[in-house]
Amino acid sequence: MKKGLLIVIAVIAVVVIWAVTGYNRLVSGEENVKSAWSQVENVYQRRLDLIPNLEATVKGYAEHEQETFKSITESRSKIQQLSIDPDQLTEENIAAYQKAQGELGAALGRLIAISEAYPDLKASSNFSEMQAELAGTENRIATERRKYNEAARAYNTMIRRFPGNLLASVFGFGQKGYFEADDNAAKAPKVEF
Amino acid sequence: MKRPVKYIICAIMTVLPTVCAHAIPDRPYPPQLVNDFAGILSRAQEIALERKLTAFSDSTSNQIAVVTVSDLEGYSAAEYGTEIGMAWQVGSAKFDNGIVVLVKPKTELSRGEVNISVGYGLEGAIPDSYAKRIITNEMIPLFSQGNYYSGIDSACTVLMQLASGEISEPDGGRTEAEDIIFGIGGWLLLVALIIIAGRGRRGGGGKNRRNQEDTWADDGDFIKGLIIGDILGNAGRGGYSRGGFGSGGFGGFGGFGGFGGGSFGGGGASGSW
Repeated sequence: MKKGLLIVIAVIAVVVIWAVTGYNRLVSGEENVKSAWSQVENVYQRRLDLIPNLEATVKGYAEHEQETFKSITESRSKIQQLSIDPDQLTEENIAAYQKAQGELGAALGRLIAISEAYPDLKASSNFSEMQAELAGTENRIATERRKYNEAARAYNTMIRRFPGNLLASVFGFGQKGYFEADDNAAKAPKVEF
Repeated sequence: MKRPVKYIICAIMTVLPTVCAHAIPDRPYPPQLVNDFAGILSRAQEIALERKLTAFSDSTSNQIAVVTVSDLEGYSAAEYGTEIGMAWQVGSAKFDNGIVVLVKPKTELSRGEVNISVGYGLEGAIPDSYAKRIITNEMIPLFSQGNYYSGIDSACTVLMQLASGEISEPDGGRTEAEDIIFGIGGWLLLVALIIIAGRGRRGGGGKNRRNQEDTWADDGDFIKGLIIGDILGNAGRGGYSRGGFGSGGFGGFGGFGGFGGGSFGGGGASGSW
């Protein structure tokens, strides 16, 4: 009787210790994903912050490119309405976020492209600096998105593998969504002979 | 299917994706800051640049890695440079103060490309527009004349000025003075051990005339003493490993100590010619 009780207590203790450490690992995995996400938001915000300056610079030289300015303003306000709860990093939310940011990226790309038609604008040091900042920001966005995907992949693997999946379903840890490669960014390594 | 065959296929399947996915060159071993994979620098230029950058890394802890490649493997220069920074962990973990200067020389078929990737910790000291200016003012004019060394060298000089304005802290570990003290300590211990060993023999041996055996024993003790002394000396040289100490043909000066865990967020600029 006494021996049996001891065994039961020991088994419970082992299960509790396993659950606690496993749960903590899931929590820190999720925190990693969230902090990677906040970095992603930071670099996208950085791009938003560049826009007023860029617009002011371009407007001085290319006043009648109203279409482009309009599309930038529209996609900007769309993004500002869109805020994602870091606890809801689902596939759909991230896809929506990526789509809105992608529209802004395309509009900015058009803005840079029209500058080609204005030699004075292209030659201005202010514009070339803005362009360097924008290019650096795009690379930051790509980098942080990649880091986020890595964190999300590590976390998703953790909650899908046995026995982590048991804990994940008991405590309600959900899968995190990924950023899809952009069409123009999806470059397969080229093979040259 | 026979077992061994199965294993081999499994092994290939596991290794293949990692081999294909990582077009980025492996972190150099022994660690070095100048990695001329494209072969555009002479040996003397490489050594001069390595020495300059190692001294800078030792005195300010900012690490500038120069990498030249003949093919970007389909990446953009910015992606490639950032990937190298992250994979090699250029810069210290404490400050994230690494810089990667990447050069892909111009060939008959392809444009020359250059990228400066800046670690998180130096993004304030070297904004993207500064990096861009270094590329357009210092590098590309010289690169288009085929003068790669001067372009890289003068870019490094400017980067060093900018970076040391932000972070300037001698690399971890001991200073030179401490090294000397520890070195002297090691030698004193060695001398003390030899004296003690000698005494022990004289006491035990009495006034016996030395024979062949004794001489051998004497040598043995001396060697033992040397080994102990050497161990102590090494211990005195530093608790942390200095990976590239006098390595790989750079003999004669203290080599670069290794990359320190720095992280990159994609800052910097690129250009082409």
